[in-house]
Amino acid sequence: MYATRNNGRLYKPYIPYLFIAPVILLLFLFNLLPTFISFIVSQFDADLTFSNGVYLGLGNFNEVLHDSRFWNSLAVTAKWTVVEVPCQLLLALLLAGLLTKNTLTNKLFRAVYFMPIICSATATGIMWKLILHSNVGYVTYLFRLMGLGKINFMNTPGLTFYVIVFMSVWKTFGISTTILIGAMQNVSVSLYEAADIDACSKFKQFFYITLPSIKPTLWFLIMTRVIGSFQVFDIVYTTTGGGPSLSTETLVTYIYTRGFEVFRMGYASALSVCLLLIVLVMTLIMYAMMLRGERE
Amino acid sequence: MLSRKHVQRLKRLPILLLLTFFALLILVPVIWLFASTVKPAKEIITYPPSFFPKQFSLASFERLASRLKILDYIKNSVIYALATTIPSVFICALAGYSFARYEFRGRSVLFIVVLATMMIPFQVTMIPLFLVVKNMGLYDTYGGLILPKLAAAISIFMMRSAFVSIPRELEEAGRMDGISEFGLFWKIMLPQVKPTMITMLILGINGAWNDLMWPLLVTGDTRMRTLANGLALFIGSDTTEYGPAFAGAVVSIVPMLALYIFGQKYFVEGTVTSGLKG
Repeated sequence: MYATRNNGRLYKPYIPYLFIAPVILLLFLFNLLPTFISFIVSQFDADLTFSNGVYLGLGNFNEVLHDSRFWNSLAVTAKWTVVEVPCQLLLALLLAGLLTKNTLTNKLFRAVYFMPIICSATATGIMWKLILHSNVGYVTYLFRLMGLGKINFMNTPGLTFYVIVFMSVWKTFGISTTILIGAMQNVSVSLYEAADIDACSKFKQFFYITLPSIKPTLWFLIMTRVIGSFQVFDIVYTTTGGGPSLSTETLVTYIYTRGFEVFRMGYASALSVCLLLIVLVMTLIMYAMMLRGERE
Repeated sequence: MLSRKHVQRLKRLPILLLLTFFALLILVPVIWLFASTVKPAKEIITYPPSFFPKQFSLASFERLASRLKILDYIKNSVIYALATTIPSVFICALAGYSFARYEFRGRSVLFIVVLATMMIPFQVTMIPLFLVVKNMGLYDTYGGLILPKLAAAISIFMMRSAFVSIPRELEEAGRMDGISEFGLFWKIMLPQVKPTMITMLILGINGAWNDLMWPLLVTGDTRMRTLANGLALFIGSDTTEYGPAFAGAVVSIVPMLALYIFGQKYFVEGTVTSGLKG
């Protein structure tokens, strides 16, 4: 039992399968099986132990559709996408444009901007929570000095959401900036030289040369950031836990509370299935938009 | 009269100011956090709050150690970070190598299956994954913490890309010498992708150290908590303990800061090639 290869060397045919076996087994057990199970569990009314589960069919999904807290969390998540993603990407575009060249100062700025990424959401959450704390917070104190009154950043419906979005941008804009710098450095220098000869301003060069050249990277970033915004959990959990009055409760935060605070595993699974469908539809829509954008 | 060089420098000034503004927006809060850890408890809660400590005290760290099983948290974070990352790099390299260098039936189908798992967010599978792990009797164990995190599609994908570009001759020379297929992988091919391995190792350690969600779900015993979830639960339940919260955040940040200083190049490369999640 020997297979031959184009170079005539011999190896046992099961070798390639043996090499991928560990990851395939693990991916099956811990990725594919749970995805499959979520469709089944979502049809039951079941707690943690699953001992007295009751079959509901599509009952959980019917409840989802009439669950105002689900719709609230979906609205919060959509708002996150609409606010956080453009803020983050515009800032990253601006900074990447200014930091493309590999000078020493630029490298220093890049190193600083990347720093929050390596810190845990827990640590940065604690940090911002205390800086903006209504009693001990330094920023709260500065705002009072400026005569803006005592602002309760972490507990004001309507404001707190934007505070959390700010924290998220603060923590992650370095990723987008780094990726965009990578893309901008790959744009051919001769394009800019030609533009310089034509006395084309740097501003125009950015819009007519840089932006079109980095379009694929930009699409990649938009897609990952939009999908990422449907997975927001850490920063909310470590700062507000979804409050005040559910104004920062994202979809994943809500799923977490259904599963691990009130232990409704079936209902939480139904919500997870909805999340999966939403993410898939969003991915397909953005993919289609990207293909159309490329054809133009 | 200003020389041309001076004019150019002046033009650059607003840009520098803008860049400095954003740098300060990052650095100032972090410096305040570090400075606050050595303030005595009284100074933390007095109004107006101070920026730099007026008095020096390690009480916050002492209180952190007495209030929480912080040494257990650190130990668990280290175990979680290393025990997920090192075996993960190995098995993902092995799989990536197989996908890149062998031709076998079902290769494309299996690779598509691997890539498909990348499309399913962890947040979608967390509830059923928890049920699977619990039913395997792995709740509150290192096994439960580590096993589900070992196989990562993105790592397999990165490894495959790294192995694809190695010249054929190297492989043929090895086979000529009658080396075993595993020996070929281990002794000849794996050293070729060292930079990718280091990148994955560093990103993996960073990701596991900071991972909040999975440790939060799969551990219940306080002795099993990691820094990320232990501190999150602490700050969530008791927000008046400011000193220990400051100290805990710093304990969580410092090792990663050290890793960043040592491996900045790899962080940046890994981010550009994989688009690191955040």
